[in-house]
Amino acid sequence: MLEKLAFQALIGLSFSMYLWLLAAGLTLVFGVLGVLNFAHGSLFMLGAYATFTFYGKLGLNFWLSIGLSLISVGIIGAIFERLFIRRIYDIDLPYQLILTFGFILIFDDLVKMIWGGVAMIPPMPSFFEGNFSVLGRPFPIYNLFIIFTGIAVAVALWLILEKTWWGRMIRASASDREMASAIGINIPILFTTVFVFSAMLAALGGALGTPVRVVAPGIGTAMIIQAFVITVIGGLGNLKGAFIGALIVGILTSFGILLFPVFELFIIFVVMAIVLMVKPEGLFGK
Amino acid sequence: MAKKISRRKFLKDAVVGGVALGTGLGGYRVTYGQAKKAAGPIKIGGQGATSGAHTDYGWQMMAGSTMAIEEINAKGGILGRKLELKFMDEELKPATAVKNARYLVTDWGADFLFGIDSSGSGMAVGPVLPELDRLCFICHAATHRITEELVYEKKIKQIFRTCVPTYQDGILPALIMKDFPEIKRWAGIHEDYEYGYVAWNTFKETMKKYRPDVEFVSIAWAPFWTMDFSSHIAAVMAEKPDAIHTTKWAGEGVMLIRQALTLGVFDNIKAWWQCMGGSVDVLQGIAREVEADKFKGKLWASARYIHNYPVTPENKAFVDKFLKRWVRYPNYSAETSYSSIYVIKAALEKAKSFETAKLVAAVEGMEIMTPAGKRYFRPEDHQAVYTVPGGRVIKSPDYPLPILGDLKVIPAKDYYRHPPFTPIAATK
Repeated sequence: MLEKLAFQALIGLSFSMYLWLLAAGLTLVFGVLGVLNFAHGSLFMLGAYATFTFYGKLGLNFWLSIGLSLISVGIIGAIFERLFIRRIYDIDLPYQLILTFGFILIFDDLVKMIWGGVAMIPPMPSFFEGNFSVLGRPFPIYNLFIIFTGIAVAVALWLILEKTWWGRMIRASASDREMASAIGINIPILFTTVFVFSAMLAALGGALGTPVRVVAPGIGTAMIIQAFVITVIGGLGNLKGAFIGALIVGILTSFGILLFPVFELFIIFVVMAIVLMVKPEGLFGK
Repeated sequence: MAKKISRRKFLKDAVVGGVALGTGLGGYRVTYGQAKKAAGPIKIGGQGATSGAHTDYGWQMMAGSTMAIEEINAKGGILGRKLELKFMDEELKPATAVKNARYLVTDWGADFLFGIDSSGSGMAVGPVLPELDRLCFICHAATHRITEELVYEKKIKQIFRTCVPTYQDGILPALIMKDFPEIKRWAGIHEDYEYGYVAWNTFKETMKKYRPDVEFVSIAWAPFWTMDFSSHIAAVMAEKPDAIHTTKWAGEGVMLIRQALTLGVFDNIKAWWQCMGGSVDVLQGIAREVEADKFKGKLWASARYIHNYPVTPENKAFVDKFLKRWVRYPNYSAETSYSSIYVIKAALEKAKSFETAKLVAAVEGMEIMTPAGKRYFRPEDHQAVYTVPGGRVIKSPDYPLPILGDLKVIPAKDYYRHPPFTPIAATK
């Protein structure tokens, strides 16, 4: 039994790291820009479509395709922020939700116009096909790769925010926008940069899913709910919280599927409800 | 200035409103009957999922029905009248489906309804059909409850189902896989809604009847749009099953199979039954892996129709024409929609009337040749009886995409449930 649980925990860990990639960008934008971006899942979907096009259609190298898709979605993110998100920084949350929700529908339809509604399946790069033995059972190389990527992104984010000048500017503007502006930080450019960075994180999630998933309209919305649950558990706007939240949601879901298949879905929402009752601002929220 | 309604005005409004309401309601009943005009085109209203992740299923319905209508119109229509199609998006939402049905009949003036992808939508549209006074041919929604509860028990005679019900995914696989004595431990990875529950329960029930030695060792339920199945696969594989039965369909089915490959599942099991895996979109999605023989011949599937069965001139003509018209292979919803239009034609020509009772009588007990073979509409529950085999997913030199081969043909009457129906547990 212990072996089963350990194996399931490892699988759950890879799911956690995948969710973390999505939750990180979502919570970063909320923490710095103060915008709850519902369309974050759409940027994730665009990352998947872009990778599918570069890798599956044009036959480019897999890693190059991921790089190009991050750049493409970054550019889309910059335009999106400049033209629309910028206008809603100072208005109430419900308006932000309406605008960004509207963009989910717009992006879904755009994708359908460009790529059609059929689910598309990019080929799996051959180095992901294999598995190796963990506790006597085959564990996919792909899942191991996701675990490493998730941890690498977490470390990189921590280094950037804590150890660089840029990170200090971001933290300063997150805690007091006016004061940061007064001491000479160019807030509009900083905000665009953060938004682009978060869009690229979403695109990375979408891109890394392509080897084992399908690319279809609606894949963004499928993931965004779990990402929201994670940010609520961890505390909206808190990166450490999002990381811990992703670990909790991913591993608990995985255990739930093994141990309580009949009411597994329910578990993470119970956790969320408990967190909201005991600490409404989230585990790491202020 | 306060708005004060005088008693006289109130009474006047009330009387006018009341009269309008009275005549209105009465009027509606009459309009429904009268909307079936004796001249002009025969209007056929369809609906399916044409947005979201399952868009292609709705598209296939449109493609199939459009082709049938073009064929019929080219030959002069039905009883001298041309056919006209309007197709709407049901969004897999029951409320939308009901709204569409009402719109199609009352506003647009549909004489017939067809389509519907979601079982939930089918269960919701069924009960409003008597009021709308129209026949509806269901082309994909497969829950047994539509025919067994709505038609057989509640006598809603306007419902007919052209496609096979969930018997196809529970009873048929059990009847085929019972003949593999080395497979003793089954596991399931299923849709977390009625379809998954019913398919798994009927599969287990049928299997136990023939094979008391079989055990059902593990089960995982995955909700709509699960993207990461590794936890589900790892959980059921923890019990070392010999085989897996799964209802995850369309794009999700493809994701599940691909992720099972990375987890080395096909090295450790003897068979995998993919319900509705014979769907063209799924076969297309796993074409590379089939080509590379990644499944080692262990992947089995069912469908509601497959384009390589039966080998008849009717089916060949349909597939060739479809390929030419749409440059794709027809999926089952294309065939069921195509055939539904021809059932409507046969019914009208037999009844020579648009009266619902006469049309119902014309379809009840009808035997009609369709691409999927001879269909017989059982009068008791209005279910079309026709045989669709299950088979192994293989690469064939005759087709660009994988097909179902090694076909196991079991006559429909042997794997369909028969009235009087005993309830199926539609729970986890």
